[in-house]
Amino acid sequence: MNLVEIENLVKRYPMGKSQFTALKNINLQFEKGEYSGIIGPSGSGKTTLLNIIGSLDIPSEGSATVLGKKIEKLSHREAARLRSRHMGFIFQTYNLLPVYTVFENVEFPLLIMKMPEKERKKKVMDALEWLGMTDKVDSRPAQLSGGESQRVAVARAIVKQPELVLADEPTANLDAENSYNILERMVKLNKELKTTFIFATHDEKVIRYLERKIYLVDGQVARDEIIH
Amino acid sequence: MLALKLAYRNLKGAGLRTWLNVAVLSLAYVLIIWHQGIFTGMLKHGSRAVIEDEIAGGQYWHKNYDPFDPLSYDESHGPIPAELSSLIEDKKATPILIRQAAIYPEGRVQTVLLKGIEPGQKILGIPSASLGKEEDALPVLIGRRMARSTSLDIGDYLTIRWRDVQGTFDAVEGKIVEIMNTEVVVIDKGQLWVPLAELQKMTGMKDEATIIVVSQNVQGQKDVSDWKFKDQKFLLTDINQMVRSKRISASILYVVLLFLAMLAIFDTQVLSIFKRRKEIGTLIALGMTRRQVISLFTLEGAMHGILAIGIGAIYGIPWITFYSKIGMKVPQATEEYGFALAERLFPSYSVALVLGTVLIVMATVTIVSYLPTRKISKMKPTEALKGKIS
Repeated sequence: MNLVEIENLVKRYPMGKSQFTALKNINLQFEKGEYSGIIGPSGSGKTTLLNIIGSLDIPSEGSATVLGKKIEKLSHREAARLRSRHMGFIFQTYNLLPVYTVFENVEFPLLIMKMPEKERKKKVMDALEWLGMTDKVDSRPAQLSGGESQRVAVARAIVKQPELVLADEPTANLDAENSYNILERMVKLNKELKTTFIFATHDEKVIRYLERKIYLVDGQVARDEIIH
Repeated sequence: MLALKLAYRNLKGAGLRTWLNVAVLSLAYVLIIWHQGIFTGMLKHGSRAVIEDEIAGGQYWHKNYDPFDPLSYDESHGPIPAELSSLIEDKKATPILIRQAAIYPEGRVQTVLLKGIEPGQKILGIPSASLGKEEDALPVLIGRRMARSTSLDIGDYLTIRWRDVQGTFDAVEGKIVEIMNTEVVVIDKGQLWVPLAELQKMTGMKDEATIIVVSQNVQGQKDVSDWKFKDQKFLLTDINQMVRSKRISASILYVVLLFLAMLAIFDTQVLSIFKRRKEIGTLIALGMTRRQVISLFTLEGAMHGILAIGIGAIYGIPWITFYSKIGMKVPQATEEYGFALAERLFPSYSVALVLGTVLIVMATVTIVSYLPTRKISKMKPTEALKGKIS
């Protein structure tokens, strides 16, 4: 069974009096454990597609089914539940909560899931250990470098061991060394935990790691390559 | 529980901004409670003084007596009925005869009320015992305000002119035997207290009275023929209404304080939502519902109020306790306030006052915290993640 199924998806945005079509007739399927990326230049619609898969937005036409749930039919509460239980997000600008410590940031998704404290602590420390951040548990985001911040963001995304991690330009603000570190860890997670990763990127450093490359041009799938 | 934990973390993380708001709110709590305590103390003290010196457990009024109509005084007297005579004999009531008269202090004429009271009575706090002394003129007791306005002092003589039961003018010389220090203006200003038996003799109204004051220990009194019983509640109506009206005018300060505190919270909330758009988007992306995010922000605002209770208690309780112990000096001008005021006013605080104020401020803070957060429900998470408000 596919983890994500997208059928005849169209996304339009109002632009003044007219409408701008960001995604045109997209048909895609993602299987469990895929390490894939949506590749394209700025404005090609990759973030829009990622947002729809992540139930942060809904299609104007067509359908997007994620983990058996039709995104367009979900209520706010159901969409929030889907995100909190089954998805992890990684953003270009890390989006760490500024007043929380590293530990608290990583702990946050587990708090939403109402996980017991003991289990929560163990999972947070495990995730931070995976990302090599155990020495920074009490630091605040402002005290971290870009690479460290993104590692915390990855830890936050994987701490609940979700089926699906959506990463929007995760290395755009990182130098080559930090990008390499992050990507290596994500590949390891994908292999060991069978977590499905979908990236939205135009960064060559990321593209090199992808097992499946979906090229998006002007809101349409131009090419879908699977690398063996 | 989650929202509480997160709200606490956010408030702690916000640092100085939180503490400034908390300081303003705690000041509002303390000042409102302090100010309301002054009025409660004023009412309590005023009521107590009036009960002790003027109304005791209630009064029987002659059917024609109307304290607000001086023209009624001539006709408002009558023989004390047998049912009340027994109370008087048992020292559970004391009769007072009220007549109009004129005095001539410093060559001027002044209309006064001549009030006859038994020198041996203990029902009212009036020092009437001094009227029982043998004097070379009619013994007269006056209050300090009356003494000041007429320039009379102990030992001074004055001419008193009155009309007897037949309407005939007569005059006698009176001697000031004591100046009482009462806080109740209505038994002081424009009043001369004389021995009841003397006044009854002077006016030809033997065994008559205008009002009969009943002891506080006597309960369940009913009307007796021409005498209508007025209970404490009725007799305190004026003072209660006066304090209520003064409380309303003082509530302007209440509203201003509350408004300032609310403005601080509202401003913080609006700014917070504007500054934390990206955070709101992140919270939603991480799995919080819009309602949870709204609850979180509302709770953050409301927690300012909770923290302010703690901070307010730290400095407010000692401050309020100090004032309720030493009292506040009342300016002399407040003698014109309309009711009994002591030289020092002791604020009075009740659990209901404190809880009521806390509840009102908390409810207002919560509402004000909630109003700006409604914007969150209209935010698109995808826009919020980019730091935009859609």
